[in-house]
Amino acid sequence: MWVGQGLSTESKRMISNRWVVLAVLCLAVGAANAAKVSLSADNWGDPAGQECVSCHAKSSAGITTQWKESTHAEAGVNCLDCHKASADEPDAITHEGQTIATVVSPKDCGRCHTAEEEQQRGSVHAEAVAVIAERLPAMVTNLAGPAIEAAGCAQCHGSKVEMLGNGKLDPNTWPNSGIGRINPDGSRGSCSSCHGRHSFSKAQARAPQACVRCHSGPDSPDKEVYEASKHGMAFASNHDKMNLGADTWVAGKDYSAAPTCATCHMGAAGKLPATHDVGMRNAWNLNTPVSERQHLVVFADGAKRELPESMSAPKRGTKVPKLDGAEGEVKMVATPDRRRQAMTLVCRECHGKDFAEAFMKQFDGVVALYNDKFGKPARAIMQALYSRQLLTPAPFDEPIELTYWELWHDEGARGRHGAAMMSPNHAWWEGMYVVGRNFYGRFLPQLRAVAGADADALIAEHIGSLPEHAWLKSPQKASPILGVGSARGGNE
Amino acid sequence: MSKRSPWWLPDFITRHVLFAMVFAGLCGIGFMVFLIEFDHHTSTEAFCTTCHSMELAAVPYRESAHYMPTSGVRASCGDCHVSPGVFAATWDHFIGSKDLFHQLFGADYDDPVINALHLPDAAFSAREWFRERDSATCRRCHEQDAIVGKRADTLAIHREDAKGKTCIDCHINLVHRQVPARETFKREAWNRMVEQEFGLATGSAEHLLAE
Repeated sequence: MWVGQGLSTESKRMISNRWVVLAVLCLAVGAANAAKVSLSADNWGDPAGQECVSCHAKSSAGITTQWKESTHAEAGVNCLDCHKASADEPDAITHEGQTIATVVSPKDCGRCHTAEEEQQRGSVHAEAVAVIAERLPAMVTNLAGPAIEAAGCAQCHGSKVEMLGNGKLDPNTWPNSGIGRINPDGSRGSCSSCHGRHSFSKAQARAPQACVRCHSGPDSPDKEVYEASKHGMAFASNHDKMNLGADTWVAGKDYSAAPTCATCHMGAAGKLPATHDVGMRNAWNLNTPVSERQHLVVFADGAKRELPESMSAPKRGTKVPKLDGAEGEVKMVATPDRRRQAMTLVCRECHGKDFAEAFMKQFDGVVALYNDKFGKPARAIMQALYSRQLLTPAPFDEPIELTYWELWHDEGARGRHGAAMMSPNHAWWEGMYVVGRNFYGRFLPQLRAVAGADADALIAEHIGSLPEHAWLKSPQKASPILGVGSARGGNE
Repeated sequence: MSKRSPWWLPDFITRHVLFAMVFAGLCGIGFMVFLIEFDHHTSTEAFCTTCHSMELAAVPYRESAHYMPTSGVRASCGDCHVSPGVFAATWDHFIGSKDLFHQLFGADYDDPVINALHLPDAAFSAREWFRERDSATCRRCHEQDAIVGKRADTLAIHREDAKGKTCIDCHINLVHRQVPARETFKREAWNRMVEQEFGLATGSAEHLLAE
């Protein structure tokens, strides 16, 4: 496999429990400092920045007012503190006698917000470009055209912001506040993706609306899932009790009316510290053809990556390829169990242990159902079709390719997300129901169309032995579900 | 008798002297008329673009608001790039003749690639020229106190925030091709942009500049 090759036999041995505890402890200490800016105030409040305000209060009153009402303004942080650049930076421009950069990167924010910057570095958010790098060309070139990359894909995942030789930011790559934006200074991410410019409000980022711009729609309907869940219902009804603007925002202590996206994926709860690594508490990857529980590997330089549970967790100090291909030294590994444990700690602020664990069992059950009944056989059949050259290698030029893509990427993801966040409607009708419908109603018929004589053998090989599909072997077994007389079952 | 001055003139103004003075005066007037006409003619777009290299500078100009404003007030090359006043204008033309020298004996500025590669240096010196003169040619037409603008607060910005600044400090890249400020100009990025624009191999810009 891709990463396994780089691991020594020793490192493939399961990481010792002692290290895991230490690792999670380290993570906890790092995150516990997150809320504080440890820098002294001498480092901000550039006097020249006041001149910016005078003119921008007139020329762009909207953002100036947002800033004036922000915590930044209250603390004396002005335009230049964030936008000041040195002339050698690739995106530096001369503006009214000052050297500035339009794009403010996590590296800039991290000058003061050190802990948050370190946490988000290497997170699934910061690496959102790498996540789709292999899929993007086929999406952009085959299904759409280059224009969609800037207006669609990159607006959520992030662009690689380029500065043109003429001193203008390339309009094909900017404006952009995609969460994994590759900035001219090399850093990844965009704080303003959630902390909108220029108020950078905590309250705004804690509200579920902060996530909606990207976590909505057919492939990742987290907004819809959340709104349809008890959690979302409680939030909508108790918005005024959420204490969203509070300095500290610990679930169960500073608020208890409802959890938001930020509560479970980032927020402090009990002894669990807040983190800006949004994917840290996720044990599964849910947006893949087949879900697998994932180790979170943290490298010595702060980079991170996930490794599937089927591979043993690498030991501390061993070398493992990072996402960019370079070798990295493993600093610590959070196993899927540990990640699940962290997430469960949030649940426990409101729910009992049995409740939380049983819920997780229901969730895991849907993921396993998706994997075993549909995801794995569909993937195996597709691989067989390609290897037997019954399909051309190009994606999306045959109907079954679109069906398969949507099976895991759209309805498959909807069903899994629905189960993860308690929307029964998305778990079933929008999710697994559509998976089943499309598997039996489109995928198998399209398979028969492309595979011809080979189809029966393929179906027998990949789904014939699966008990989940055994019902297909009893076509005479009627049910009243369709409401048609001839199909009335034995209940009557 | 005939060589004496008329009674109302001093003795040393002889008739020859008088003729010489009238002649010199006429010559002087002629010279001034010549300078005015010369400056006028050599400030026109038609004259400037007789050099192909200037035609390249004129292309973006013709798409700018200074060429085709709704008011119909068109600024010609000289309106911006030649100082007001006949002596200053003549001096500018005299100094400007170095451009002609470079056109004849320097790099091949008629080649769009060479022209684009050298453009930033031209832009920097032009901006410096404006700054040294407190943007005098802008102020031929634009009265700072009278800039009201279409957006709210344009007037206030020009009265309050533009104090101590000259037009060119803020208003660059209005007419010709976009060039960054000298302080943050990146030669390498500029070269790459030109190469991409003309479909040239990476690094060929440095070669062309070295020639």
